[in-house]
Amino acid sequence: MSKTVLEVKDLRTSFFTRRGEVKAVDGVSFYVREGETFGIVGESGCGKSVTGLSILRLLPEPAGKIVGGKIILEGTDLLQLSKAQMRGFRGRKISMILQDPMTSLNPVYTVGDQIAESVRLHQKLPAADMVRDEVISALRLLKIPAPERRLHDYPFQLSGGMRQRVVGAIAMSCHPRLLIADEPTTALDATIQAQYIALFKDVQKTTNVAIIFITHDFGVIAQMCHRVGVMYAGKFVEKAATRELFDAPRHPYTIALINSVPRLDRKDERLFSIEGQPPSMMDLPPGCRFAPRCSSAQDICVQQEPPEVKVGEEHFVSCWRAS
Amino acid sequence: MAEVLLEARRLTKHYPVTAGLLQRTVGTVRALDGVTFTIDRGKTLSLVGESGAGKTTVAKMVLLLERPTSGSVIFEGTDICQLSPSRLKTEYRPRVQAVQQNPWSSMNPRMRVRDIVAEPLVVNTHRSPDEVRATVQHMLTQVGLMPDHADRYPHEFSGGQRQRIAVARALALNPSLVVLDEPVSALDVSIRAQIMNLLKDLQEQHNLSYLVIAHNLATVRYVSHWVAIMHLGQIVEYGPAEAIFENPVHPYTQALISASVLSAPEGAGPETKPIILTGEMPSPLNPPSGCRFHTRCFKAIPECSTTEPELKDIGEGHQVACILAY
Repeated sequence: MSKTVLEVKDLRTSFFTRRGEVKAVDGVSFYVREGETFGIVGESGCGKSVTGLSILRLLPEPAGKIVGGKIILEGTDLLQLSKAQMRGFRGRKISMILQDPMTSLNPVYTVGDQIAESVRLHQKLPAADMVRDEVISALRLLKIPAPERRLHDYPFQLSGGMRQRVVGAIAMSCHPRLLIADEPTTALDATIQAQYIALFKDVQKTTNVAIIFITHDFGVIAQMCHRVGVMYAGKFVEKAATRELFDAPRHPYTIALINSVPRLDRKDERLFSIEGQPPSMMDLPPGCRFAPRCSSAQDICVQQEPPEVKVGEEHFVSCWRAS
Repeated sequence: MAEVLLEARRLTKHYPVTAGLLQRTVGTVRALDGVTFTIDRGKTLSLVGESGAGKTTVAKMVLLLERPTSGSVIFEGTDICQLSPSRLKTEYRPRVQAVQQNPWSSMNPRMRVRDIVAEPLVVNTHRSPDEVRATVQHMLTQVGLMPDHADRYPHEFSGGQRQRIAVARALALNPSLVVLDEPVSALDVSIRAQIMNLLKDLQEQHNLSYLVIAHNLATVRYVSHWVAIMHLGQIVEYGPAEAIFENPVHPYTQALISASVLSAPEGAGPETKPIILTGEMPSPLNPPSGCRFHTRCFKAIPECSTTEPELKDIGEGHQVACILAY
């Protein structure tokens, strides 16, 4: 079994606002192994992006704060590091890809300069042509055609798919151990998205990088991830190997979500829909957070929070009905 | 036989590209090139394609927000491009309404829901304030909101509720055709199903026709009766939704479907290898010769770069523009 790169234990992240504390991430635990992709799936506001930002310690200060838990990257607890030490990890050991390449790239610098910036900052190479070689090899890793020429292009000269590859090249340029990808394919067209996912699987095979893949799209999860966690209102409700999650989901929210996505391989007469909306993070219901929308809720569900129980190898569910 | 509500005939839209001090025309963006389709009463036609395919341009033509360079739009037997402005305003505009993609930008944040839903009535009809109020309340209940929501502002609602308000506004005039531009893609997964079910119910109750623009094929399969697959300003495959999804013939359709299939969840079937297209969508400024898809096509033969394929019927209204199909 490959070695664990990152382990997150009982992570709690809150935002302190004028109207009170928002527990955006409320006790989240998971791990990612070398060469493995762990997917985090959930709807807006469930805390999936905040989980990613917490690992990088890039929360907007002073409102956002990690209030508990451990984030262990290859033996080092990132939460014990000073700001300067953390800067040495970011980019070099952990890197990130964001959703929209048009906003994560700087429009007035060439893509070569933007990749070189992170190489120069983190690798301290003695000569300029060594930097250039690293930049070209990063572009090549992401299969960008004619990298020697693309180097001099500005972001606006590239298509959406190519821009997102450049973002990937920046992220991979310093050979990180962990890559956090927050909705990296959402802004791309269907056929380009398929290209990008296939490309990233190759990149992972070559570099053995561990990936945390954040998305709301079950289709992307099915194609990209080895294991997946379903988040709802700041907590994981279910974690399982991807295949098992689709074959035998146990949590009512997971089941409902999978059923409410229309399928391409069959004609549905009527979609299953989950009534109501996710709870406000300022005012969480007691007991299970999904209970108010759950069709099989019992008395205990609205009184006590369900514990996480193991229902299979690497399959965990937080639901009273599963225990 | 279904009754035809709207027919688009060889719609073409070219945008000139100008440059320099004198704004001389240096090229043409061929946004649409000879697009023909029909929408039946009470049915849904979906336009599917990637960015730059011309879906939104079609919507603009149908809403007559822009006029086609050539071709015509026939609504209940009348060519709307020939109508005088005053007849257009009384006879066409109230009959065709639209719902936009993003419910955060399609409503004026300073107007109350009451005024947002009432606006089309105030602009297009001469109803009394009491009648308008009654219609607004009726519309809100129709889309699953409460009548007292009328006094609130858009920011007080979630995305799904806002999209319901947008639907209420579009239906206030009791139109025949509603253009839905990516109606659920800005919404969360669990909310999408609610809105799609609502749209289906309203279609049945009011015998509405929908022109849906979407890129998510699974959504399209769920809501559509007819589907048109667009690529670089042209329709490459057109037909009943079932035929398109069960038996896609054009290589581009096959690649699109392959790219969006959940890779066999529930252990269903053998793992199929997805079709990954190489390269990117060519520029509509300078589309490839012959079949516009041949540069990315995995089945292309030499003739594809010289012969422009015509849409041809391969049975039961299923049309394909590919020389390998016939």
